[in-house]
Amino acid sequence: MLCQKCGKNNATTHIKTVINGKVTEQSLCGYCAAKQGYTGFSAGPISNILASMLGQTIQVSAGISSHSCGCCGATFADVAETGKVGCAECYREFGAELLPYLKRIHGGVRHTGKVPGTKQLVIKEETGSVSELKAKLASLVAAEKYEEAAVVRDEIKKMEGK
Amino acid sequence: MACWYKEADKVGDIIISSRVRLARNLSDLPFPRRMNDDMFIQLKARVKKAIDEIAATGDLKLKFIEMNAVPENEINAMVERHVISPDFARNYHDRAIAISDDESVSVMIGEEDHIRIQVIYGGMALDKAYELADCLDTALNEKLGFAYDNQLGFLTECPTNIGTGLRASVMLHLPVCESSGQIAAVSDAAGKIGLTVRGMYGEGSKAGASLYQISNQITLGISEENAISNLKVIAEQIVDREKAARASLDIKELEDAVFRAYGTLKYARLLNSEEFMKLISMIKLGINMGIIEKDTIRPIELLIIAQPGMLQKSFSVMSPRERDEARAEMVRNMI
Repeated sequence: MLCQKCGKNNATTHIKTVINGKVTEQSLCGYCAAKQGYTGFSAGPISNILASMLGQTIQVSAGISSHSCGCCGATFADVAETGKVGCAECYREFGAELLPYLKRIHGGVRHTGKVPGTKQLVIKEETGSVSELKAKLASLVAAEKYEEAAVVRDEIKKMEGK
Repeated sequence: MACWYKEADKVGDIIISSRVRLARNLSDLPFPRRMNDDMFIQLKARVKKAIDEIAATGDLKLKFIEMNAVPENEINAMVERHVISPDFARNYHDRAIAISDDESVSVMIGEEDHIRIQVIYGGMALDKAYELADCLDTALNEKLGFAYDNQLGFLTECPTNIGTGLRASVMLHLPVCESSGQIAAVSDAAGKIGLTVRGMYGEGSKAGASLYQISNQITLGISEENAISNLKVIAEQIVDREKAARASLDIKELEDAVFRAYGTLKYARLLNSEEFMKLISMIKLGINMGIIEKDTIRPIELLIIAQPGMLQKSFSVMSPRERDEARAEMVRNMI
């Protein structure tokens, strides 16, 4: 396929742009693509991609970026430039600007995972060897803790059965 | 329990290790990028106190280490053992880490987020790793109060981690998928449900020794359980694909390649990192295919302790040539 711009060279770069939901596609040669500013497609870290995504909003709507976070002092320009948010409060301050991008990254904007404080720290003891368990069983029987002993006995049976 | 790479030689076959990481931030400090020196000091002191209190209850003992007290060699070695992230190592001076004796549990303090809880085990152990990370998260939250929003979940410096703050990953050994050009297909399949496939040391690195890491990317709008279960399903599919590819290998040719690798490792006097990684990967394949007996060589442990930083730490050698010599000697002694 030849370049749609110059019609001379082979098209090596395929560009798809979506503006207000309208999709336009172009196939260009390397030279014409570079002339239009489409260079350096190497996939950088995701935060860079994000920074460039956020950066676009600033150009589109320069008005939004003027206010700053009352807590850490970051402006939306800072957030857009680095792709990193200044503090927890920034999510409230710049919520309107950030939400569309969170949706683009994650697909959804409603947390469905863990709510803080829902589990207690109890580290399970690793199950020991059969001989260790037998020793434990003996000590439980000696202490007349028969219910606990029964659990250990079943565990030993299970391990020996394997 | 032994550290993950020793465990991996015992329990790991195609799935080498499982890791879970939770990103958390204190609600009353700006994120690390906007913190000054005093804030870093305050952050470390508060986390240390919380860690000490948890240790005092006897549930989980973590050792608190200021990173500026750790020698440079050891920092590189910690990255190679997957104890800290490359990013944490690049800018470590203000940072600290709390870590368990076997290094399976660690809390990085002052990385991209205030706190990164990490649990890493050998073999497929995602559920166990998440369970522990979850408990530690709850205990730390009680003492520190993490930034959380009802709609957005746990708030993080990078919006790519917001929500659960969970990054779960498994490391897979895929030599035959790799040599038969199937990694792109594997990567596509993973991509469809929001997982990514990368080379061994995570972001931006080239796969060495045919080791690939698969991890979840989406953290908002998906629960921890679902993210982990997606990862498990895809990991199992990839394992099946690798097994199918292995089944179609010419056994005589494979035996030849495995024993040639064995011979080179046993007798070489100079081993550069690249050659070593390829050979040790072949040995790992040979063990899993029953060509070499399991306990004669511990390929994953060797792979980790023969990394440049780890070698430098054990032998205090400096030049690449000295390292290649030390690597060859160490490998000879361990085979």
